[in-house]
Amino acid sequence: MEKILLRNIDVSDSHTLTAYKSRGGYGSWRKIVESMTPEQLINEVKASGLRGRGGAGFPTGMKWSFVPKDSPKPKYLVCNADESEPGTFKDRLLIEKDPHATVEGTLIAAYAIQSHTAFIYIRGELTFGASRLDQAVEEAIQAGYIGKNIFGSGYDLDVIVHRGAGAYICGEETALLSSLEGGRGWPKVKPPFPATHGLFGCPTVVNNVETLAALPWIIERGAAVYAAMGTEKSKGTKLFSVSGHIAKPGVYEVEMGYPFKKFLDEDCGGVANGRKLKGVIPGGGSMPVLRPEEIEKVNLDYESVQAAGSLLGSGGVIVMDDSTCMVGAAWNLARFFAHESCGQCSPCREGCHWMEKIFHRIEHGAGEKGDLDLILNVSGNIMGNTICPFGDAAAMPAAAFIKKYRDEFEAHIAEKRCTITG
Amino acid sequence: MDPVNIIIDGREVVTTKGKTVIQAAADAGIVIPYYCYHPKLTIAGNCRMCLIEIEKMPKLQIACNTQATEAMSVLTQSPKVLAARKAVMEFLLINHPVDCPICDQAGECWLQDYYMTHDLQASRFDARKEHDRKREIFGPNVVFDGERCIKCTRCVRFLQEITHTNELAVVNRADHSTIALFPGSVLDNPLSANVVDICPVGALTDRDFRFKVRVWYLQKTPSICPGCSTGCNISVETYQNRIARFKPRINEAVNSHWLCDEGRYCFHDLTGGPRLTTPLIRQEGGLVPTTWEHALQAVYAGLKSAGPLAGILSGRNTNEEAYLFAKLAKRISDDYALEVFYRERELTEVQKILMSPDRSPNFRGAREMGVSSNGGFESLMEKLVAGNFSAVYVVGEDLIATNGDREKVRAALQTLSFLVVQDTRLTETAKLAHVVLPATHFGEKEGTYTNRRGRVQKLNAAVIPPDGALQDCDIFLRLLDTAGEKNSYASVAEIFAVLAREIPSYKGLDYASIGDQGIELGSGSVE
Repeated sequence: MEKILLRNIDVSDSHTLTAYKSRGGYGSWRKIVESMTPEQLINEVKASGLRGRGGAGFPTGMKWSFVPKDSPKPKYLVCNADESEPGTFKDRLLIEKDPHATVEGTLIAAYAIQSHTAFIYIRGELTFGASRLDQAVEEAIQAGYIGKNIFGSGYDLDVIVHRGAGAYICGEETALLSSLEGGRGWPKVKPPFPATHGLFGCPTVVNNVETLAALPWIIERGAAVYAAMGTEKSKGTKLFSVSGHIAKPGVYEVEMGYPFKKFLDEDCGGVANGRKLKGVIPGGGSMPVLRPEEIEKVNLDYESVQAAGSLLGSGGVIVMDDSTCMVGAAWNLARFFAHESCGQCSPCREGCHWMEKIFHRIEHGAGEKGDLDLILNVSGNIMGNTICPFGDAAAMPAAAFIKKYRDEFEAHIAEKRCTITG
Repeated sequence: MDPVNIIIDGREVVTTKGKTVIQAAADAGIVIPYYCYHPKLTIAGNCRMCLIEIEKMPKLQIACNTQATEAMSVLTQSPKVLAARKAVMEFLLINHPVDCPICDQAGECWLQDYYMTHDLQASRFDARKEHDRKREIFGPNVVFDGERCIKCTRCVRFLQEITHTNELAVVNRADHSTIALFPGSVLDNPLSANVVDICPVGALTDRDFRFKVRVWYLQKTPSICPGCSTGCNISVETYQNRIARFKPRINEAVNSHWLCDEGRYCFHDLTGGPRLTTPLIRQEGGLVPTTWEHALQAVYAGLKSAGPLAGILSGRNTNEEAYLFAKLAKRISDDYALEVFYRERELTEVQKILMSPDRSPNFRGAREMGVSSNGGFESLMEKLVAGNFSAVYVVGEDLIATNGDREKVRAALQTLSFLVVQDTRLTETAKLAHVVLPATHFGEKEGTYTNRRGRVQKLNAAVIPPDGALQDCDIFLRLLDTAGEKNSYASVAEIFAVLAREIPSYKGLDYASIGDQGIELGSGSVE
């Protein structure tokens, strides 16, 4: 398979403009500015079938087309580089190794919606990545790819790299916008949606790093070539961050629709140390865990993973072998969500920590009969009732761990200790 | 206004374009519970109490942020909705101390009310509750209990959107989220106590009121704030014949939902202190108790025989009282000047949201009744100090205490040949009087005030005056009687009916139609 997203990362000094240009970098940008209308660009990306890689998988071209063309307000393109999903580190690799692809993708998306100011909002902890982006943007400005009258076209575009303060919730697009506006990183109530009322109340599109980084290739090679890859509804390639008990952890680029089992066993070298697989989270910490038997026939595309009862999400694959205490794993994630809930709406603010407290006591041998049904009930009361998807993100894994490893939880409660790790 | 037809619980409801489901339902008398929603604040959508089911939508939606659209079908009582409400109630209560017996909000707490209507289950939460700051002083009038707070952010939004003073913000995350003062700020803006009114729970309570009365003992009387001529609509809330607090009453033509702190607490000054319960008359240099009959005779004789008369009425006297006062002056004296007490001060931008520069709620009305002279109150006071009057009749104001140059006023009053003071207390001014008549304050009387903008509004008696004091109207009527003018008004309404015939701008106004929201001058039907 030809690499699209990781095509440059093994080139020496891949982060520099020189290296990027030697690989044809900014050729797509020039082509767009010199010869394509925004409509043509949007249609091209629609035809490619590219879907948002931040987790939701929403068609990128369609998202752009929601921006009102006749709005008198400025329009903003925001690159979401706030990668914080547990088990996900693909954007970080792209940013650190191939920042110009992200920058060029940002320029392309900005052009599609005719934005003249684009922001790259990067997670606070990614200081190295931020410096790489700063450097890339500076190089692009010097080269005339960013600024006034780009390629003599009369089109102006400014790009601002903004560092967040390290809150998971700021990866949620409206919380990101609140933070970028200088406010508390709280998700906004929707409607209205960012396409019409986003940053500073102006039409805004927020795209994930991986989504944007695919754009230069799509323009260079044509939508049809991209759309020829993958499945009917999940086109192209996707990055997977593989971690946990796996022989070869790392970031992998895989064609959509690739068999999950084959991916783990062959590409990633199988479960580490020859142990048995106990469970795998396919799409980052907020997605339901899958049992080994559930992934037998699953392919790595949005539809197949969803049919198996989980979601492809960010592609954060967390592998757990048979030495893993699933109570401990569930508590670990519950603790993360209890800590990261922004506290704005009642079910998430109160429910996440409630679930964490129950997981905590089960883990520490103080679980009670009825605790498992209580967590399932509480997670159900959070699901779908919150301002943003965070509530679901906390509720789904909690419920999945209990439903799929109930015996282990019950043993933990009955014996008041861990039956796996002793 | 385009009509929009929606269906709520099977009932056809016609609303208008742009309205949300929560508004459309409220207009139709259908109750959807909520905490964070407030009609005067932006939509926060954070409490999730107003979740409703909408046909063809997979997830429950919040009614406060859902626009009513044509043919939308809404369910507010479906099993899914009831379960969600119960869940939200449970979430809001898990870290709440449930300390109702010692919470001042008990009895008017939305958590209590909604628990009874939407929850009613034993707590399933048996872990350790999160703790937060207790009784933190936010400002002179407001105290905060973090553990009772549901983070609805109504207070934060009020201070951002109404006063623009931004004293409070949400800090910290998850279930450690709490409301806090910005470093270095104090919640002391002129409208600060409104956050207590809009706090649906016991998180923000009123330092002046709390622990004085359990709210279920309060009797509530709709009335008008006597603080200034804005005429904010209030509920005078009393316990054992004493005013315990003012609460704002909604009137979009006047004060919307709000009340300023100065107005809110002004009843302490206006009603406190020992009351006069018997008329006093000056004998051998001192004031001694006398009968009403004797006192009124003395007033009549004193005013009749004196020279030029100045009549000064309080701005808190009603239109009916002012009408009779003007009538009385005309009956008794050939040479008189009448005025309504008036003082102005500079207002800040935040004060201007509600407050008027004066402290005379019925200044406009009383002057329209004829209690007015050329040059206004300042000029009349100058003439008084200059010795132009030989008799003064002061109602409800302590001229010495409220005047900048106290000694000059005192000296002028001391040289008068006759001074009548009609008041509730033995003020510095009253101590100089020849006759003191015990009267009533704003909370004890019925009548009308006309605010600065010409809205006639109704005052209702919230407490009973002490034995021995008379209503100001009764005093004027009895003096008129003494002066030979018989009147047979059976009620304040009858006096209003007469003045509404005589005073041009009040023509056609009907006392009964003033109601709880008031009426505009000039809105009367003129035959």
